[in-house]
Amino acid sequence: MLPAWILDAFAAVMLAVAAVSAARAAAARPWRRGGTAVGTDVAHLLMAIAMIGMLTGSLRAIPVVAWESALSVLMAWFVFRAGRDVRTRGLRALPGAHLLHCAAMLYMFLAAAQQPSRYPALAYAFALALAGYAVWDLDRLSAGRPSVVTAGCRTAMGVTMAFMLIAMA
Amino acid sequence: MSEIAVVAGGRAAWRDGPDTAPDTGPDTRRVLQLALAGLWLLDALLQYQPMMFSKAFGQTLAATADGNPGFIARPITWDATLIQQHAVALNVVFATIQLLLGLGIAFRPTARLALAASVAWSAGVWWFGEGLGGMLTGTANPVTGAPGAAILYALLAVLLWPARPAAARAARALWLVLWLTLAWLALQPANRAPRALHDTLASMGSGEPGRVAVLERDAAAVIGGHGLAASIVLAAAFTLVAIGVYLPRPAALSTLVLAVAIAVVIWVIGEAFGMILAGGATDPNSGPLLALLALAYWPARTAPGEGRRS
Repeated sequence: MLPAWILDAFAAVMLAVAAVSAARAAAARPWRRGGTAVGTDVAHLLMAIAMIGMLTGSLRAIPVVAWESALSVLMAWFVFRAGRDVRTRGLRALPGAHLLHCAAMLYMFLAAAQQPSRYPALAYAFALALAGYAVWDLDRLSAGRPSVVTAGCRTAMGVTMAFMLIAMA
Repeated sequence: MSEIAVVAGGRAAWRDGPDTAPDTGPDTRRVLQLALAGLWLLDALLQYQPMMFSKAFGQTLAATADGNPGFIARPITWDATLIQQHAVALNVVFATIQLLLGLGIAFRPTARLALAASVAWSAGVWWFGEGLGGMLTGTANPVTGAPGAAILYALLAVLLWPARPAAARAARALWLVLWLTLAWLALQPANRAPRALHDTLASMGSGEPGRVAVLERDAAAVIGGHGLAASIVLAAAFTLVAIGVYLPRPAALSTLVLAVAIAVVIWVIGEAFGMILAGGATDPNSGPLLALLALAYWPARTAPGEGRRS
């Protein structure tokens, strides 16, 4: 049995990610002409809130089915964006991290609904991919891309998701 | 022989002289370092599994003392008892250390520090967590993970050290010693007995999901009572791989491919994917590390007149 305070500690990390993402999304002022695109920050915000609910039952305010629907829409949006960006800018434009994070979150909600999970190997595969992406992101961060905040949020999100996936498997 | 003067850590560790390749993204050595970082991160996540916070983890460690000489076994028993008494606190420390090692190696400014720390940590785990891989017990089996994953982590960290490359001779000698050790272990009485490999594989299916359990059962049935023949074949293959790094490039490449193939077979059949799917594993075992080691020794292309390229 996992000690509750460890789950709370990871939830606190997700809370920080949610706060940072919300602040960045608000600062971008997307509702104004010339505002910056906020897709990434909104996605981080949504996923961080979803993770907080998964880690700490007492903070689970939104029904699972609503999260499954929201994440499916988010996933569809990223798939659409991936298709569009890859066509115009090549494979390098593939939003791999977002697709991976969305798919992992969706898997977590679907797997949590049916314990024991029917495809535990998939949980490990997702965890491995998330760990791999976190490592890759950190390396790129050392080379100056992407920004510290973006890479930090993604790494924290990836590690927390991988932790949750393995704990659930 | 100079053409294979090559790789450990991407060619640089073997080659004489400074690496003058232009920095156009992660080089071979950096990619291998990132793979090592990923494995440490995976280990950390496995260490955070619910089961590790119970006394069962300490009991697993205590079992590695069995068969070891007293001076090796006593510290293991002491350490295992301590872990059973403070299971939650110590496990959090262990998992977090491994998490920091993974993240530290991945982040370039801290890579050296994390690699150095990983050598020390791996050595400690090899003794206190793996009982030196059972090397002194007479029962260590290369098919199930000997000489122990932890020592392979240490070896990789040394070979992938980012500063001055390891001496080519030393790196080759390490490879030779490692694979000859595996060959020697394969021929030990406990491993060459007619039903030894069969029984080992049959037991690996326990607690595994259906398909993995069936795979183990089928593999055990194929081996049957031919344990001695299997041991001889394994020892011959290990020996061939061991001397491979001293051969000319094409032959060396073939033996490295063989090493990767052996690592995959060991991981899938001998180690049941590190028993991760059965729950309770703290690392993916030696298979992926042996494969990573083989990649670290991969010869660089050395076309005539060509500079350093990966």
